[in-house]
Amino acid sequence: MPDTSIYQEEKEIKLADLYLAKTLWPFIQPYTFLFCLTTVLVFIVTSLELIIPILMQKAFDGFILPVGTEKSIHIFGFEITSFSSFCILFSMVVLTSFVIDFIQSLLMEYTGQTIILNLRCKLFSHMVFLPVTFYDKNSSGRLVSRVAGDIENMNEMFTNVLIFIFRDLFLMIGVLVVLFSINSKLAFYLTAMVPVIVISIAVFSKILRKAFRTIRQKLSEINHSFSEAVTGIKIIQTTSSRKRFMEKFKLLNFEYFSASLYQIRVFSIFMPLIGFMGVLSVAIILWTGSFSVMNKSLTLGELVAFLSYMKIFFRPLRDLSETFNLLQNALSSAERIINILKTEKAVQRISFNRERFRKISHISFDKVNFSYTWDKPVLKNISFHLPQHQSIGIVGRTGSGKSSIINLITGFYQPGSGKILFNDINQESINIEDIRKKIALVMQDPILFSGTIRENIKPSELDMDPLKLEKALFDANCDFLFDKSSGLDTLIEEEGRPLSSGEKQLVCIARAFAFDPDLIIFDEATSYMDSNSEQKVHDAMKKLMKGRLSIIIAHRLSTVRDCDNIILLRDGSIMEKGSHHDLVALKGEYYRLLEKEKI
Amino acid sequence: MIIVDATQLIVPQIIKHAIDFLSKGSFNPEALFFQCIYILFLGLVMAGLRYGWRNLLMGSARDLENGIRDELFNHILNLDPAYYNRIKTGDIMAHATSDINHVRMAFGFGLIAIVDTLLLGSATLAIMLWTHPMLTAFAMIPMPFLVMTTRTLGKKMHVFHQTAQESFSKLTEFVRESFFGIRIIKVYNFESVISHKVEKASEDYFNKNLKRAFANALLKPLLILFFNLSTLIILFYGGFLVIKKSITPGELVAFLQYLGILAWPVIAIGWMTNLFQRGMASLKRINALLDSPPDVVSPEHPVILGALSGNIIFKDVSFAYGKGDPVLSDISLAVKPGMSIGIAGPPGSGKTSLAQLIPRLYNTTSGRIFMDDHDLSTLDLNFLRNHIAFMPQESFLFSSTIRENILLGRSVGDERMDRIIEVCCLKETIEKMPDGLETLVGERGVTLSGGQKQRIALARTLITEKPVIILDDPISQVDTHTASKLMAAINRLNLKAAVIIISHRISALASCNRIYILKNGSINHSGTHEELVKTSRFYRESFRIQQLEEEKNA
Repeated sequence: MPDTSIYQEEKEIKLADLYLAKTLWPFIQPYTFLFCLTTVLVFIVTSLELIIPILMQKAFDGFILPVGTEKSIHIFGFEITSFSSFCILFSMVVLTSFVIDFIQSLLMEYTGQTIILNLRCKLFSHMVFLPVTFYDKNSSGRLVSRVAGDIENMNEMFTNVLIFIFRDLFLMIGVLVVLFSINSKLAFYLTAMVPVIVISIAVFSKILRKAFRTIRQKLSEINHSFSEAVTGIKIIQTTSSRKRFMEKFKLLNFEYFSASLYQIRVFSIFMPLIGFMGVLSVAIILWTGSFSVMNKSLTLGELVAFLSYMKIFFRPLRDLSETFNLLQNALSSAERIINILKTEKAVQRISFNRERFRKISHISFDKVNFSYTWDKPVLKNISFHLPQHQSIGIVGRTGSGKSSIINLITGFYQPGSGKILFNDINQESINIEDIRKKIALVMQDPILFSGTIRENIKPSELDMDPLKLEKALFDANCDFLFDKSSGLDTLIEEEGRPLSSGEKQLVCIARAFAFDPDLIIFDEATSYMDSNSEQKVHDAMKKLMKGRLSIIIAHRLSTVRDCDNIILLRDGSIMEKGSHHDLVALKGEYYRLLEKEKI
Repeated sequence: MIIVDATQLIVPQIIKHAIDFLSKGSFNPEALFFQCIYILFLGLVMAGLRYGWRNLLMGSARDLENGIRDELFNHILNLDPAYYNRIKTGDIMAHATSDINHVRMAFGFGLIAIVDTLLLGSATLAIMLWTHPMLTAFAMIPMPFLVMTTRTLGKKMHVFHQTAQESFSKLTEFVRESFFGIRIIKVYNFESVISHKVEKASEDYFNKNLKRAFANALLKPLLILFFNLSTLIILFYGGFLVIKKSITPGELVAFLQYLGILAWPVIAIGWMTNLFQRGMASLKRINALLDSPPDVVSPEHPVILGALSGNIIFKDVSFAYGKGDPVLSDISLAVKPGMSIGIAGPPGSGKTSLAQLIPRLYNTTSGRIFMDDHDLSTLDLNFLRNHIAFMPQESFLFSSTIRENILLGRSVGDERMDRIIEVCCLKETIEKMPDGLETLVGERGVTLSGGQKQRIALARTLITEKPVIILDDPISQVDTHTASKLMAAINRLNLKAAVIIISHRISALASCNRIYILKNGSINHSGTHEELVKTSRFYRESFRIQQLEEEKNA
């Protein structure tokens, strides 16, 4: 495990709030109606909440304080003469408020969750379509934390934060309006508080966001550690390096801990500050209000109402700062998600003028250069031609660039210079998916997904004649699968259990067969197999190669011997090229390697 | 925190006095001034104290989170591979983040809410009772209903939360595995299929979440309803009392103010119920993981030995993964120090399983394995593994430097390092790397070829000298030329070690003292290379094919 500096995620992600809003808008937009509805309901609930103190004040001034018998109050033009009918009105208001509040909450949750669902699906399908380069740069553990954790975090934003902020702002404005109507002088004192509050919010939001960024970043590192520990468990346990991993993790976890402590400290200054402002204004209002009551410019009931409204004024402020905390957290997650959604542009820019493409009939490489990092060329000046129905074998030591050629053909990477031509058409002007549809790839590491064996060979969403599937399996010499516990419906678990590595590889080969490709690529596909099974696969390969293009990468020369053409790579350049017999006759490196392999 | 709550309760008292003064018509600016100053002072004290307890409580919640996560990670490192056959990585990752988070929330906010509710609530209630017991009693009528509904809802929430978290785990796992196999997905154009799969999983999570949301949405309005009902009762009955002059208007105002203070604890109950139920459900899931004991454990009183020499005996060993079909049956074999054995056989014949039994990555189902005449299960696990160099079949590199990947925290001299690099034919490879040994590899580093990965994994295995060396298919991805160089070097490296090599390549096995051919979990044939060529059809065929290739090549 490296020191922490290497652990860092890609450079800190920072985006402007406005940009965030713009990018998220398409996800919110279809639900504007629901949002508006919820907001309206929120307003109703809030208004009802505001009416309650008014009702109380009226009751005070109308029923409780007056000594005489003439007791009546006017509410919205209605005259209510008895205290009990007033109480009925009050309970009606309370009940309606309950029902609407419930509907509102439910609607809000529903809307928020739907948006999150859409966002998650969008993010995932977007990520799946991102180029392989992206996955080479970002570890899967870290990416998972985007789709799972970060989106979850944003959930808070849509469900709780957005509407609460609406509501709280509305509530505060409403309270201010009511306060002004009661006594503008007193209300004016209160408004003096507003700029102070706004400034403190602005300052704290900056600090908080920064803290949350670090927190989210560390969390995804933690995710990565867990994922890596699980994958490499056998190595960790058999090399007794548990302590080492534990120490590294503790350090990381501690960094996360300190980052969150910092956030707490910042926030615990913010919250009491707001609370203190509340108390301060109570003191001011009491002071000035009492004078007004003495001047008879304010009734006692009004002062009482004023004080209750102020409670309502500061409660949302308290809520607001709490939701504000959530908002900052959610926004820092949103930044990370949008950063991925943004990656799209770089890839899809070249998608103009793509030609429709039916069948790969021949392929050529024309002076192709390529490197993963700019300073270290992996392929140098590669040119070759693969004519119709032919096969090409690529041999060379490990690290000589064999797999990189595959990365280019499948469009995982783009060549640095030179051209790759499919049927004489430049790869860049063909939709890469059209190419991939015609290619089957069998890789060194057999990769299977959870699901049944059948689904792994041919996903259920794609129709396939069962007979055809069976034939594909027999062609791939995979008939042993029928003897597995539940045949083709045997469930494959994580990492291909319960199949052995060799069996997994056979299933992967069967998958290639089932897809009936124009071009088949074997990337050292037989490395996990014993000679007997390998022989079976080789037979099957020959069957499949008939009438198709094929590229076989191998470290054993015998595997490529029968190819129409063989390329010998060394340090990214083609050293020798020709048929087996040509190369033997050449008595060059290929010949020397052959001699050595005999030992 | 208690002081905060206390001061919070004093403020309405002051207001009460001020209002009573006003309603009596007497007005004393001086007294009012002092009252205001008093309020301000209390406000300052409250702010300071709030800062303190927030820091303390939330800090300790984070501390708790930190501790749980450390323990979880430690536990995960301790669990044996058998456990990972049952549980999914995505699950564990969900535990480590989402679940721990919920627990923290429960203990941070939840704890605040509890303390606040209990202290503030009971203190307020006491003062209310003291002011006017009857009025208080009436105001409390809705309370039992409140408690009841919160409890029922809470239970529901607990269940909903648990199912939602489970669904979340599943989703996480789908996502993880898709990213892991992204190349295959791309080449086969599985993108839409996989997206669809994740979509379905998300929808499932969505539906379960919605249930949770329903309970959630009901809770808060319900609490407010009960609260408002109390307000109504106070207003009605209190107003009646004021008219009867049994309480002053100021007292009624103060009473309503107190009820206002009570509103926060009441709403907090809602929060708390939600957070607590979520936290508890998550804690349950974490505990389930923490409580799952490793199948393979060190004995309480291990046999104390100075060192192991590498004398391994398998006696009638059978093995199955979990309750599945037996993978190995009645295996008996012996390895002595300085001796090497080879293991071959068709895929699925149990070669890898056999190798994994020696460092006790799994326990045998029946039969015993002895190391220097001690049953493996009587030896301390770390002690045992410290004497075995084990190379798993699939080379896995951690995202780290090449050096770290080889050393994994162990320290060896430069000389040893250079030697092993030479033995593993890595010298040239490393020299070509941009930063040599310090080059980053793994998920986020330089892309290495399969053979390069394998050789680094081999170097990791051989870097420290161990009496037992187990190599599971060490040369499968290396070209033939390098492979023969590797095998020769490995054989020379430690002449005293007991070596077990699994390979498909006869050339790698030919020099072994004894070779075992596995078939369907049993030893089909054993003997030296020369013997097996005569006795084992599998071996003969493999050898013939491999020889044929060589002849063809010539």
